[in-house]
Formats: sequence, C-alpha cells, structure tokens
Amino acid sequence: MRSIRVIAANTFREAVRDRVLYLFLGFATLLLASSKLFGMLTVGDQSKILKDMGLGGIQFFTMLIAVMMSVLLISREIDSRTVYFILAKPIRRWQFLLGKYVGLLATVLVNLALMTFMLLLFVWAYGGGFDPRLMLATGMIGVEMALLVAFATLFAVLTRPILGSVFTLAVFVVGHVSEDLWLLTRHLPGSIGRGVVTVLYYLVPNLERFNFKTEVVHGLPIPVTAVLWAVLYGVLFTALVLFLACLRFGRRDLK
Amino acid sequence: MSEVQLRVHELRKTFHPGLFERDVEVLKGLSLEVDRGEIFGFLGPNGAGKTTTIKAITGLVIPDSGEITVAGHRHDTMAAKRTIGFMAENPYLYPHLSGREYLRFSAELLAVDRGEIGDRVAAALEQVSMTGAADQKLTTFSKGMLQRVALAQALLGEPRLLILDEPMSGLDPIGRRDVRDLILEQRDRGVTVFFSSHIIPDVETVCDRVATVIDGRVRGVGAIHDLLAREVECYELTFTGCEPTSLSTPLSAVHRSSDAVWVRVEAEHRDTLVRELADSGARLVSLTPVRSTLEDLLVRQYEEGAAR
Repeated sequence: MRSIRVIAANTFREAVRDRVLYLFLGFATLLLASSKLFGMLTVGDQSKILKDMGLGGIQFFTMLIAVMMSVLLISREIDSRTVYFILAKPIRRWQFLLGKYVGLLATVLVNLALMTFMLLLFVWAYGGGFDPRLMLATGMIGVEMALLVAFATLFAVLTRPILGSVFTLAVFVVGHVSEDLWLLTRHLPGSIGRGVVTVLYYLVPNLERFNFKTEVVHGLPIPVTAVLWAVLYGVLFTALVLFLACLRFGRRDLK
Repeated sequence: MSEVQLRVHELRKTFHPGLFERDVEVLKGLSLEVDRGEIFGFLGPNGAGKTTTIKAITGLVIPDSGEITVAGHRHDTMAAKRTIGFMAENPYLYPHLSGREYLRFSAELLAVDRGEIGDRVAAALEQVSMTGAADQKLTTFSKGMLQRVALAQALLGEPRLLILDEPMSGLDPIGRRDVRDLILEQRDRGVTVFFSSHIIPDVETVCDRVATVIDGRVRGVGAIHDLLAREVECYELTFTGCEPTSLSTPLSAVHRSSDAVWVRVEAEHRDTLVRELADSGARLVSLTPVRSTLEDLLVRQYEEGAAR
C-alpha cells in the first residue's frame, strides 16, 4: 500500500506542477463566469441556465483534464523512461499502475471539487441560492471520470499518447450515446453492422447512467437506487478496466 | 569457494517491433555468472545485447526463455529486487522534482523507515558530491549532475548488487574518477558491482572480471589479465651478432641501434626465429610478448562474430 500511495502522491505533485492543468482550470472558470451572460441572452429561468451550463462545462473540462493528464502522465512516464528507476525497485507493476491511477484520479477529483465550489458560488452570487443537489450531479461526474481515467490508463499502456487520447475521447462520446447504439442494433438491416454495433454497445460503458444533470437542474426527484446502481456500475466497470490495464502492463517490455 | 550473486542462464529475447517489421533477436542464449563482492564489467559494441540483458535482470524486459537468479532468488521476486540498486544508461529522472525530493521519493519506494529517510538521503548526496545542488530542480542539472543523482538513488537502498548501465558516459574526467572510486568503495563494502561500459580504460582500471558480449552471446569471460594473456599478438626480440638481412624468418619490423638489433615477429614465427638466431651464433638479449589490449580483443571478437 505504501508504494501505491507514494507513486500516487508523486503523480499528483507532477500534475499540479504542470501548467496545462491551470490552463483547463482557467477556461472552466471563464465558462462558469460567462454563464450569466448566456442566461441573459436566453429566455427562461436564468438560474437553471446557469446550473445547466455550469454542470455541462464542468463535465467537459473535467473530461479534458482526465483524458489529457492521464494519457500524458502515464505515457510520459514510459516514453521518458522515468519508470525504469521505479520498476527496478521492489515495486510490482500493478502497484505502479494503480499508484498512477490513484494520483491522476485525485488530481481530477480535486479539480472537480474546485469547479463545483465555483459553480455553487456563482449560482449563489447570481441569486440562485445554495443548491446542494449540484454536488450530487458533480459527484456522479466524479464517478464517470473515475471510469474514464481507468480507460485512459488502459489506452496509455496499450498505445501511443495521441491514439490513447483519441480512444479515450471516443469512449466518452460513444458512452454517452450508448442507449442510441442499442436502438440502432434493432434498426440496422445487415447482420455484420448489427454485430459490430452490439459489440461496441457491450464494450463501451453507458456513461448516461451517471448523468443526473437534468434532474438536478429542473428539480426532479432522483431515486436513491438509481444513484447506488450507477455508483456500483461505475466501480465494477472501473475495476475491470484497471485489471485489464494491469494485465497488459505486466507483460509489456520497457524498451 | 566463491558465492554466485548473479546467475544468467541461456537468456533469449526477441523483440517484435511491429506488423510489417522484421523480428529482432537480441539475446541468443546468453549466460554468465557474477561472484559475490566482485566488480564485473560487461563489454560489447552497440546492439550486442548489453542493455537488454541488464533490463532483463532488473525486470524491465521479460525474457522469452532462460533463467536469472539474484542471490539465489528468481530475479523478478521482491526478495531479489530488494538486493539490487540500478542505474540506467541515461539518467531519466522527474523534472518536476529537486534532487533531494527525488531521492526522498526513491527512499519511500524502497520502504526506508520514515525516521531514517533524511539521513539516508543526505548520506547518498554526500557520496556523489551533490549536497550543494540538492535543492535545485532536476531540470536545471547537467547530464553529469543527473548521472550523480541517479547513482545516489541506486545506493539509497544499500544494495548487495549494484547494476550500472554505462555509469561513466557523459561525465567529465573528475566525475569519471569519482564514479570509479565509488565503485571500488562499494566493492570494499562487499557489494557486487555489475556494470556495462564503452569506456575501456575505466573497465580495465576497476574490473576484477569482464565478459565480452557479441551478437547476443557471451564470447569471453574472465579476469582481464587472463583474457589478454591468451592474446599475444607478436613478439619483440633484441639480439646481437647477427644481421637481420641474413634471416629467412619473416619479420614485421626491424630497428638497428649501434650495438643491437630489435625486430618484431608474428607469434607463429617466434620459435623459428629463435632457432635461426641460435644456429647463426647470435646472442638473444630479450624476448618480449606484445599483448592485445581489451579494445583489440573486443574488436577481434566482433570481427569474428561478423564473419560467421
């Protein structure tokens, strides 16, 4: 456990000393601050528009941080060979990879917490009061990001950084249209096309399970079981993806 | 009887670069043994398989077949890894850390007691003469300074087997001398040192034994003087009382001084020349074998390997 914690702490330190992170945070703050302007230009409840745009922006920027930092930091570790000195020590490869994962996830979650705090502040400042349900929505974004960072980790050990980023982004996009994929399998005429889409449907997680934005923004009820099932789904899928990443990394030659 | 610290037996490794690229067989049954407490040099040209062997020992590359044991343990077990201190060919260290932070991180990974980390790091920095620059970011370090920090992290865990891949490359003469002294100091403490190098004078200065690696196999192994003793290139003879022009033995060099004649003859013609000198009534003053250097030996083995 100590080695995982030490590697995680170092990864977190590496991430927070990287300027790219602050660039994303800066853009996210700008988007949240400008939500009020969009609200003024749109017909409807300005507070809802602020919450909707804020949650959408948080999800987008957290996703960018998760994808970019994860693939970048893991691939950099392998490509720049800093990993040589670590793996020659009494550290197992899966411990190294889990340490990287935990450090990256901590980076993502700290940023998510910062952005959530800013959103709560903006909503309050613009007269929307304090809405604790916003934290539930961002919490579920956190679960989604835990899964996405796991995919980024898997792709970082499987392929080059650019491809890894593209594949992780593809998981994010396809994961959000997963239910449409299921509908598509019923309407596709050819069996090959249907087969491909069905495989994709089962391989890529359904990320819409973590989406509680509409309910939070419009004040609709959220069943506790839906939240619990989504968390369980996220945890199990994350564990499976990380297991595959560790399995692959365990057999990889570090040339 | 000496105890074996590192045993590599019939190690084979082929890399598969990609779909349309040819496989590269790097190690072709490489075997060697390193005794406890010795300094063992690992020599060979580029691409001979030195770094791949070192990476296999340290668990960075997974061999296709063969066996590696460190102090009797399989090399990929934690028991084996705890005995190893490793420095890679180029010092790849985290640029976001300072020298001291990097060593603290390394000490944590080595599970050094928290209370001991500060002292252990300070001692390692002192050993490599980096105390003064310890709190600077690693990005500001020269290659030689990075090399010293990398060496310090290899020493942190008080290893029984120190594996150094090209430890002197990139160092200035003073740095090279310091590393040589440090290697000798480690040997005096009973640490086994296994290192590869292209800088042959350094190998000749510090190594108890060397192995030469050509094309994925060990071509020669032994104490340097033993290896070179077998490698007499030619003989130099000094004699009086005979004109070299009267000799039928082929000579490769002749020099005449006021009172003696100096000649050089290939090893295979030595006995013929000595006999001829005796028959002609000459007086043999000296007969000196001219031995190969380690570099000559390596080049010859490489050329033999290429010719096969």
